[in-house]
Amino acid sequence: MSLRDRVRAVLGRLVAASPTERVLISLASLVMAILVGTVIILVAGRATTCGAESASYYFGVGFCYDPIVVYDRLFLGALGDPLSAGWDPFNRQLAITLRETTVLLFTGLSVAIAFRAGIFNIGTQGQMVVGALATAVAVLWASPLVSGAVGTVLLIPFGILVGSLFGGLYGAIPGALKAYADANEVITTIMLNFVATSIVLYLVSGVFKDPESFANQTESLPEFALFPSLLYDSAYGFSILALLFGLVAIGVLYYVLEQTTFGYNVRTSGLQPRAAEYGGVDAKRIVVATMSLSGALGGIAGAVYVMMVLGKFQTGVPAYGFDGITVAILGGSNPIGVGLAAFLFGVLKSGTTVVQFATDVPRQLIGVLRGLIILFVAMPEFFRLLGRRTMGPSRPKNEGGATATDGGESETEVSTDG
Amino acid sequence: MADLARVLGTGRRRVATIGTLAVLALGTLYGLVRPESTPGILLETLFTTNTLASTLRLSVPIALAALGGIFSEKSGVINIGLEGLLIISAFSAIVAAQSTGSLWLGFAGGVLASVMLAGLFGVVCIEFRADQIIAGLAVWLIALGLAPFAATVLYGQPNVSLTAAETPPTLTEVVAPIPGLSGLVESLSEITFVGALFDAGVTVYMMFLLVGVSWYLLNRTTFGRWVRASGENPKALDTAGVSVSRVRYAAVLLSGVFSGLGGAALSLDLATFGGNGQTMVNGKGFIAIVAYLFGNYNPIGAFLSTILFAGLDALQNGLQIADIAVPSQLIRAIPFVMVIVVLALFGRTRLPSAAGEHYESGEE
Repeated sequence: MSLRDRVRAVLGRLVAASPTERVLISLASLVMAILVGTVIILVAGRATTCGAESASYYFGVGFCYDPIVVYDRLFLGALGDPLSAGWDPFNRQLAITLRETTVLLFTGLSVAIAFRAGIFNIGTQGQMVVGALATAVAVLWASPLVSGAVGTVLLIPFGILVGSLFGGLYGAIPGALKAYADANEVITTIMLNFVATSIVLYLVSGVFKDPESFANQTESLPEFALFPSLLYDSAYGFSILALLFGLVAIGVLYYVLEQTTFGYNVRTSGLQPRAAEYGGVDAKRIVVATMSLSGALGGIAGAVYVMMVLGKFQTGVPAYGFDGITVAILGGSNPIGVGLAAFLFGVLKSGTTVVQFATDVPRQLIGVLRGLIILFVAMPEFFRLLGRRTMGPSRPKNEGGATATDGGESETEVSTDG
Repeated sequence: MADLARVLGTGRRRVATIGTLAVLALGTLYGLVRPESTPGILLETLFTTNTLASTLRLSVPIALAALGGIFSEKSGVINIGLEGLLIISAFSAIVAAQSTGSLWLGFAGGVLASVMLAGLFGVVCIEFRADQIIAGLAVWLIALGLAPFAATVLYGQPNVSLTAAETPPTLTEVVAPIPGLSGLVESLSEITFVGALFDAGVTVYMMFLLVGVSWYLLNRTTFGRWVRASGENPKALDTAGVSVSRVRYAAVLLSGVFSGLGGAALSLDLATFGGNGQTMVNGKGFIAIVAYLFGNYNPIGAFLSTILFAGLDALQNGLQIADIAVPSQLIRAIPFVMVIVVLALFGRTRLPSAAGEHYESGEE
């Protein structure tokens, strides 16, 4: 079997788990990541130095970082403290949370749709960067032609279209390489991320550079070319319209995956590639089409980032694409699950700044949590075992070779669960 | 192309190699005839002592991670987390060297951290039957978050410079106390181009040594046979009374040792850990994967393809200084593009047949 078949088989098993089980695994992974994160915060708090009066004490030991404060700020802080009196649903921090959610929604969907076809698209970051620059340049080019409300109505769809087109083309490259040259997409997409960074840096430091600025950035887009900020203050860089657009995208993608022939072909290619080919599905075309769609979603994330968050293109785009991997895995590659996971990650990303403001804990903590969540989601067997050890009274506790002995049986349990 | 392959009686690997060599030969000829042309400048830059010296230096982390990856994947565990192992060891080596003041304890610290992370990866994949690709990505992302996080906790910023210990010595420095040898090495190192081979850091010689050791270990020892069997036919290995999971643990831990040495060499050679963005490792772990795929799981092949990628990287560094029409940002992308091209041409490398699969012993 080729690597592709193997990866597909593994993904198939992952997707085949029952929805309830997947939700439980995702939640359990989150809890475990938070627990391990707590330990890391405590250990880091011992490793750093601080005054005795600013330390918090647990079990008689002083720690510089207090995990309870960290998680309180992370989760409640990100929502603008909904439990305190006088909570304003249109507060700044919640706006930032929703802003991050909106971009992550698209990168998450981008990774998820590829996952469903059995493809690991690690290149959403690169596709987003390419789409973002294309959007900025195209909208800057088109903006003198229109103005006012008409400009907004015309330019935003135009920008999204350009972003999705360029992101889609950039995603089609690894798709074609995988389909026709059997090049492993994990490696090619990662390499294409580096290539995208280089090319974009070249373009933004040269041809498309804002001559007035020292930074590697394009000129700012005119006000009317940005997503209009309704309800929330325009300074927050969030538009409820973009979020609604994201929710529509979830619905559309859900429909496409579950109700259309294309979606059926994508899903069967992911679950049963052999069966799909026997059924007359052109597997190569599905791979290219799925990667183009995935890249287009990454490109839209870039377009939204430019037209909502930044108002221009600048090098050093945040790692939305990599977070999209976590969002997709945590959301079980289901569009609705991705929506929920994107909100959770929006909370984490926005909460990080609150944590940084309230404590000395470095903001890279979120990166650690991201890795831990993926690690735990990757091993459902761990939770099955944990569940059996703690809740299964009929099973005698045996040490050492316990897992190896359990192995053969748990295989069948997986299938009955699913 | 296909006809040519039939004539030669070999696969497209051979055809592509011959084609590449032909293009290189033509370019070389043109460059020699007209030294002021672009191929001429390219040639001149390629054959400087500096280019070879930096090729060797840049090869160390990639080649060592590739060696580790070979053992792991040959045993049936695809280790896509090599990048993470390099990151964590590059960082830990600097921390260990900075806090103990000893270069060699720095190496030990780097290897220890990498082995621990590899061990975690092993437990997750072998004990808990995790999806190897996703678990590998997790290893990468954990290290990508943890190293800058810990650097900020300990030193207040993601970049750490080593001030408490020396960097690894070069061969000239090592042999300096030996009277006869030092003169010989000194004069050898002054030869143009190949002189770089005699004045490299000790990590480069460590890499040469480990490439040979790995080849021997994999092809000439019982352990090597077990590793190969564990990836190709675990059932047979099991029947022969050898525990498949133990062999796989050993191979995964070995990938931690190799990557740990590679990451430590990377940061200690430069006396710094860079933790911004993709960190100073910057994709070397992924290039290592392509290097061993291109080298068809042979340690020597993996080493040669590493030299190719590192050589391109060194060349682009040299070309940025040289006066050439292509902008430096685009030259920087060359090694990454090359990786994609190589993978597209040779992507059909045959994987060990049980790689990526969990093996469950029937008896025990």
